[in-house]
Amino acid sequence: MNAPLPVPPIWTTGTTEGIHTGTWRAATPRHLFAPSPCHQACPVNGEIATWIGQARNNDFHGAWQTLMRHNPFPAIAGRICHHPCESACNRAEYDAALSICRLERFIGDAALDAGWMPQAAASAAAGRVAIVGGGPAGLSAAYQLRRIGYAVTLYEGSDALGGVMRHGIPAYRLSRRVLDGEIARIVALGVDVRLNHPVQGEQAFAGIVAAHDAVFVALGAQQPKRLPALAGDHDWALDGARYLAACSRGTPPALGARVLVIGGGSAAIDVARSARRQGHEVTLLALEQRAQMPAQPEEVVEALEEGITLVNGAMLRVAREKAPGGDSRLALECVRVRFEPGSERGRFTLTEIEGSAFEIAVDAVVTAIGQDPRLDDLGVGLRREGALLWTATAGATSDGKVWAGGDLASMARFVTEAVGMGKRAALAIDRSLRERGLGASGPALVLDDDGDEPVVPLSAISQHYHPRRARVESPRRGAAERIADEGEVQLGLELAQALAETTRCFSCGTCINCDHCVIYCPDLAIERVGLGYTVNTDYCKGCGVCVRECPTGSMAMSEDSK
Amino acid sequence: MNTEARTLLLTGNHAVAWAARLARPKVVPVYPITPQTPVLEKITEFQAAGEFDAEVLTPESEHSVMSACIPASLAGVRVFTATASQGLLLMHELLHYAAGARAPIVMANVNRTVASPWAFWPDHTDSLAQRDTGWIQYYVESPQEALDTVLQAYRVAEQVLVPAMVNLDAFYVSHSLEPVSVPAQALADAYLPPFAPRQRLDTASPSSWGNVISQDMFFRHRQAIEQSMAEVPELAAQADRAWAELTGRSHGVVERYRCDGAQTVVVTMGSMAGTARDAIDAMREAGQAVGLVKLRLFRPLPVHALRAALAGARDVIVLDRNHSPGIGGVLHQELRAALYGMDGAPRIHGCLAGVGGVNVPPEHVARFVGEVLQTEPQPESHWVR
Amino acid sequence: MIDNTLLAVPRREDDLLCSGHAACPGCSEPITLRHILAVLGPDTMAVVPPSCMAIIAGPQPFSSMRIPVYQPTLEASAAAASGLRRALDAQGRHETTVIVLAGDGGTYDIGLQCLSSAAERNENILYFCLDNEGYMNTGAQKSSSTPRFAYTSSTPAGKTTRKKNLTEIMAAHGVPYVATASVAYLADLRRKVAKAKAMRGLRLITLLIPCLDGWGLADDGALGAARLAVQSGAFPLVEVEDGVRWTLNSETPSRPIAEYLAVQRRYRNLRPADVRALQGEIDEGWARLARRAQASMPAAAEARAA
Repeated sequence: MNAPLPVPPIWTTGTTEGIHTGTWRAATPRHLFAPSPCHQACPVNGEIATWIGQARNNDFHGAWQTLMRHNPFPAIAGRICHHPCESACNRAEYDAALSICRLERFIGDAALDAGWMPQAAASAAAGRVAIVGGGPAGLSAAYQLRRIGYAVTLYEGSDALGGVMRHGIPAYRLSRRVLDGEIARIVALGVDVRLNHPVQGEQAFAGIVAAHDAVFVALGAQQPKRLPALAGDHDWALDGARYLAACSRGTPPALGARVLVIGGGSAAIDVARSARRQGHEVTLLALEQRAQMPAQPEEVVEALEEGITLVNGAMLRVAREKAPGGDSRLALECVRVRFEPGSERGRFTLTEIEGSAFEIAVDAVVTAIGQDPRLDDLGVGLRREGALLWTATAGATSDGKVWAGGDLASMARFVTEAVGMGKRAALAIDRSLRERGLGASGPALVLDDDGDEPVVPLSAISQHYHPRRARVESPRRGAAERIADEGEVQLGLELAQALAETTRCFSCGTCINCDHCVIYCPDLAIERVGLGYTVNTDYCKGCGVCVRECPTGSMAMSEDSK
Repeated sequence: MNTEARTLLLTGNHAVAWAARLARPKVVPVYPITPQTPVLEKITEFQAAGEFDAEVLTPESEHSVMSACIPASLAGVRVFTATASQGLLLMHELLHYAAGARAPIVMANVNRTVASPWAFWPDHTDSLAQRDTGWIQYYVESPQEALDTVLQAYRVAEQVLVPAMVNLDAFYVSHSLEPVSVPAQALADAYLPPFAPRQRLDTASPSSWGNVISQDMFFRHRQAIEQSMAEVPELAAQADRAWAELTGRSHGVVERYRCDGAQTVVVTMGSMAGTARDAIDAMREAGQAVGLVKLRLFRPLPVHALRAALAGARDVIVLDRNHSPGIGGVLHQELRAALYGMDGAPRIHGCLAGVGGVNVPPEHVARFVGEVLQTEPQPESHWVR
Repeated sequence: MIDNTLLAVPRREDDLLCSGHAACPGCSEPITLRHILAVLGPDTMAVVPPSCMAIIAGPQPFSSMRIPVYQPTLEASAAAASGLRRALDAQGRHETTVIVLAGDGGTYDIGLQCLSSAAERNENILYFCLDNEGYMNTGAQKSSSTPRFAYTSSTPAGKTTRKKNLTEIMAAHGVPYVATASVAYLADLRRKVAKAKAMRGLRLITLLIPCLDGWGLADDGALGAARLAVQSGAFPLVEVEDGVRWTLNSETPSRPIAEYLAVQRRYRNLRPADVRALQGEIDEGWARLARRAQASMPAAAEARAA
């Protein structure tokens, strides 16, 4: 008979941790950072999910600092930006887009109230940069370049900085206090500002180029387009930009009782509403149907609240001055049209509708149908593209020392687009100056390192964790009140409202450290390490629950190759 | 608590209840079934009077009773229960489970006929049908022996971690009344050390029991069980001797009664042994060289002790109060296997006597002996009445 | 909502469930188990009958749980837990929690008898039924917890009888606490486990465990199915105290049952009439629950006042 073997335990003596179930896996999850659709759509590529997250955690200073990395004008943008981020927001398909613009305003206003200041670079860089034009593009470039440490000289033709933000956007949309405050912050970084210093003509421009190591040109589009029907010099026909500039200086021209404003964009709306505040009866005539108008939908709503009459899909054929003593100065013969937008803004097809002619009786006509740059101010040395200055990536012009941005070089006629162009040009200038040995001693500013992950779609968001909720109401003052005192129309959010809205953000692709991946892993294979997460490949079976339960789309599976 | 032994007039059931009380089990799950009920009634009476400090629970079936016993025992607590017949059969799955778990539970079983058809009479088929489950099995012939054996069973079971059942005949032992010496608690405490197994269910060292094992582990586990079983006859004898030292009473493992010089030896278990004693006396008086071997420990079958006890006999007559269809009397067949190949092995005759509870008075025993001795030994058991 | 109370995640070495167990990838049973054990803590012993959980518990000599586990026969969980509980009480270990982690087979079917008896005796046990609606460990055969019309390997044409209502059965026993819960509603689950832990007597919590293989779900689909079960009313979240105070924890069903059925292959052969019949059952069941909850309100208010 065999000797008996030692008695085996029928009680357990260890744990299953010795069994590496990771060998079962065909795909492995990873924790990632991916761009959110708002970030991609944002003209300044702001880190929206990040700053909203900071605000959600009551770190408003941190949120402001994140905003300021890409855009020195959060309080301004929070009032007037056309917010493509909101159109792109994943939440728009789900219940309603996040009120990103108003949240940015809240943080921008908090910063102004608290007097928070941005930091200039610790050490100076060798290069000297000229900024031509003190509008949003120029100021944005000046801000970024001062942050890096370059000596910046800013040449502004008028007596005040701000460009279209000051002369084109009325105070009831953007208070002067806010405008001045955010501009002053940039100047305080040490920008050498030369007001009343227009740069016009080849020689003047060449002189500036020679005197600096790099130049950023952002002269804007100063030449208004004219309607053929209003050709000639009439005191009853004005250009919209001039009208707004006069209003902003406090000297609006007298136009008679009834005014027709022609145009479908924000500028036309601004003209119309400014005219209302001067007591005029205002009609707005736009080629586009209401939904096609380039103006922001909220602006149209506000304009209608203020008693402006909107006539869509029509154009002016002939303007006739009537005999004096009549009920109106002008008889305007108009006709209805079908407006078909072209491949880019500014291009379209119009078809007159047979037998649809009608007449409007007004006392003055103000046109706001767009502007073109005065390219001759720069001489003929730089390559052009149609009515615009030609630029390549990040605003590089045909001259290796010159970059350009804003309305001068682009048909994207939005303030924040200009800010984005100024930022990208500044970074390109920095790279160029470093290559020439004129750069700062510290590391380059890295602002748009998006990584290789694709934009997070709605399908990557675990919707269970986001019950449907209404978007925060953006309050505005009553029409009669706001016309009377010309103060800001939009009221801004209260703290509780702002915080509540921040909790609606999906934080697409930006992890919020909710730890769901850790909590729901059936194999306890995900560990939190600081603010990141590691997958324990010894045990992960590749089930994908972590990806499913991530409420921000910050986990993704990759197939394993063996 | 009594410090002296007392003599009480007790039935077998009540004697078992007293033994259970003296053994100080801490968990007693139990379910009533005729003719075991007085055991549980007495225990609950003790408890109600504050004389029995244990968790007594009454689940809804015997299957649940044994299911409760096993983890309680594995938690390191002494466990007692009692049942009979159908109840024992309902526990069958768990009897295997308890043995595999090495849970030293002690259970009293009142041997009663097994349905169908229904009956309540003494018959050992119920417990003998459990002979493969891995439980130690004792068969007692009197209330006194029942009490003594329950305590001895704990001592043996806890030494080898093998469960044990003490079998007593329905009515003949369970309900018959006799003076029983009930030892003092102090004596029982001295005889039975506290049950404190090193390996148990304990949150302080969280080891688990019951996970699926491999073929090889199973094979070795069964070897270990067999090893432990092999130690039992000697441990049972030691336990009996130690008991004798304390109480003066010894029952042995295999008892030889007037076997010296016996040509014919009757072998039986349980109350039939008592009846057979009288028959042996009568036959000896009549000049027949007849003796009795009472088998007290049936599992493990004490093969060597049996061979020694039966050496020299010419004929062995087994009286089986049980029936296994297709093979006859269980003890008959086991004894045939046990003595096979023995030098000078006696001729073995098997009698199915008392199956179904049929009364077997001493005269019948004597008659069976006479009749059987006139036949050649057969492999089959004879039906006798 | 993202629940910040869940952020207190234990560090791995404190986890009472270990990695390396043999659950199918994505199974919600280990997710449920780790949270149950996290709430209960180490002074716990578990009784686990043959079931998926028994396999998850580990192959000898390894255990996936850092608490003692005892595996009884399939029909005996509540009886075994009773014996274990009494032994611990006899040892003076009254604070050690005894839990059962049984499947629906071992609870609704073969284990119901001894569970009923344990309930009648009000044994101090916390009984978790991990309900995956079938004998999944043995290949997805039907149990009395399988819902009507579901495909199982022993009801290939769809089950013709309804799912047993374990909550009502246990409520009728008048035990201190009966509840349903789901790891897809984690905060509610943890609250219920903590609440049950603080009570004494027979407490039973039924947890819906979508079975990936048995129900026909993707590896990452368990929690989504569990949510749909609650949102469609197929698995309402309720509590019953002392058999009479009913509380509804989930909202009125907001999704049609068809949405829940659609994600599971075990229902792929349903006819529209079957779906309508199921919707009718759900609506009726919810109405009955709502009536019970309504009727409980004065009693609940009195109990709170007392």
